[in-house]
Amino acid sequence: MFTFIEMEFLKLKRSRIFLLSMLGAILPPLLMFIAVTAFDEGGAFEALFTNVNMYMTAMFAVLIFAIIISYLFGREYNEHTLKTMLTIPISREKFLASKYLMFLVWIGILTVVTSVSTLAFGFAAGLDGFSLKLFVDSFAQLLYANVLLFLTFSPFVFVSLFITNMVPAMIGGAGLALVNLMVYGQNWAPFVPWVSPYLIASGEIAEYGASITVSYAIILVTFVIGLAISYIYFKRADVSL
Amino acid sequence: MVDYVIETNQLSKIYSKNKAVNSVNMHVEKGKIYGLLGKNGAGKTTTMCMLLNLTYPSSGDIFLFGKNPKRHSKEIYSKVGSIIETPGFYENLTAYENLKVIAKIRGDYNPYTINSVLEMVNLDNDKSKKFRDFSLGMKQRLGIAAAIMHSPELLILDEPINGLDPFGIKEIRVLLKRLSHEFGITILISSHILSEIENIADVIGFMDDGVLIDEISKEELYDRLNKFVEFEVSDIELALDLFNKLELKENDDFAVDGHTIRLYTHLEMRDKFNALFVKSGIDVKKVNLCEENLEEFFTRFVSNN
Repeated sequence: MFTFIEMEFLKLKRSRIFLLSMLGAILPPLLMFIAVTAFDEGGAFEALFTNVNMYMTAMFAVLIFAIIISYLFGREYNEHTLKTMLTIPISREKFLASKYLMFLVWIGILTVVTSVSTLAFGFAAGLDGFSLKLFVDSFAQLLYANVLLFLTFSPFVFVSLFITNMVPAMIGGAGLALVNLMVYGQNWAPFVPWVSPYLIASGEIAEYGASITVSYAIILVTFVIGLAISYIYFKRADVSL
Repeated sequence: MVDYVIETNQLSKIYSKNKAVNSVNMHVEKGKIYGLLGKNGAGKTTTMCMLLNLTYPSSGDIFLFGKNPKRHSKEIYSKVGSIIETPGFYENLTAYENLKVIAKIRGDYNPYTINSVLEMVNLDNDKSKKFRDFSLGMKQRLGIAAAIMHSPELLILDEPINGLDPFGIKEIRVLLKRLSHEFGITILISSHILSEIENIADVIGFMDDGVLIDEISKEELYDRLNKFVEFEVSDIELALDLFNKLELKENDDFAVDGHTIRLYTHLEMRDKFNALFVKSGIDVKKVNLCEENLEEFFTRFVSNN
């Protein structure tokens, strides 16, 4: 599997999407930096990390993840490489698993980029209250939220296999990001699988009075359904040329 | 006993109500070049996709190297190289990097091998060029490089000469013949270009409307090509009267095209027919003894079947 991931990285060489996703990961800290410096919204590192994690997980990550998934899976159809890969031969299960794993690794990199750039922007803005523990806690929170969010994106894998064009993914991702903003703060937000990862990771879920187990169960069911339909579809469908 | 590398039994593929491939029984002998000939939409690509497990058959069986590929997938397909339609590679990667991805995943990455195959298909000077900047001919050659990189025992090539210039076609033809004759690689190649299949194949499978009409060796093909005599005459009506009196039947024994009569039977009597025409006052402007070409044979063969 290591070779698969290594080759997925080679496939990303000179790819604009990878660079764009990194820019997307820097965007929330950059916007917070602008808010702090240009609008004199002062504050401490703690507030910066909290705001960045919230905007990243609840809004930007949803859009970025949708685009990444669409690219990872869709490009094999759009560039007609699926027929080349599957006749190497690679089993369809292994191919699908390597893509899921690459998606997770990509998310890990984005998390690091967001956290490190938040730190850099915080120092650039001259914020107070930095401690290593704060940074590690914030990173862990963002990573946990992103990993939970990763689980909720398996239905998008099916969509990307079914509609290989990136446009629906971008529209879907943007739509979902807007829905997340509307849902956030509502009583039933913990039951929406794309909102609850942030609520769980940040601990905000306690304020809703909802069962955290139910939220975890919804995330898990979303993952299993998405995984099952993407696997069944990919396993059974003829490879389009 | 004949050793078949590819054997299919009643292989069919149905899309909705359309039978794209209809009960195909294909037999590709070890070490031979098998040309699959058919019009666009005849079912060649679908058949090859089923052989490569890219498309699932609706019914029928496939045996590769005598085994069921569903049960011995990895063992069988690691001995197969293929190109289906236009080769698919990553646009942002160079020729070398694309081959590296394939070799690494297959587990036999060796820079020397990649450089050798790139040299073999004349892409050694373009190995650092991105795939998106390749011409169609270069893409096809890279596809062939990828297909032969792991020294396969069987090559399945769907229209591999598409987009190649005449020099490129000749190079690939020489390469494929070399692979078959020197290294004993079995090749299944499809094309709708009849002359290419005639040039390269040892055995030809004729496919039309999803049906594999027949499989014949090239020697058998040449035996089956119709020979005929063409008479270009000044008075076609009078000439036809003469043929009718001799009880020769139009379409069976002869055909008419303008002022030309094409005689398919009684060829040994062509001098007597010529003398008869002259005696009856018909000027015979031309007499040719001809042989049907592959295109004419294919047209006749397909329409008869």
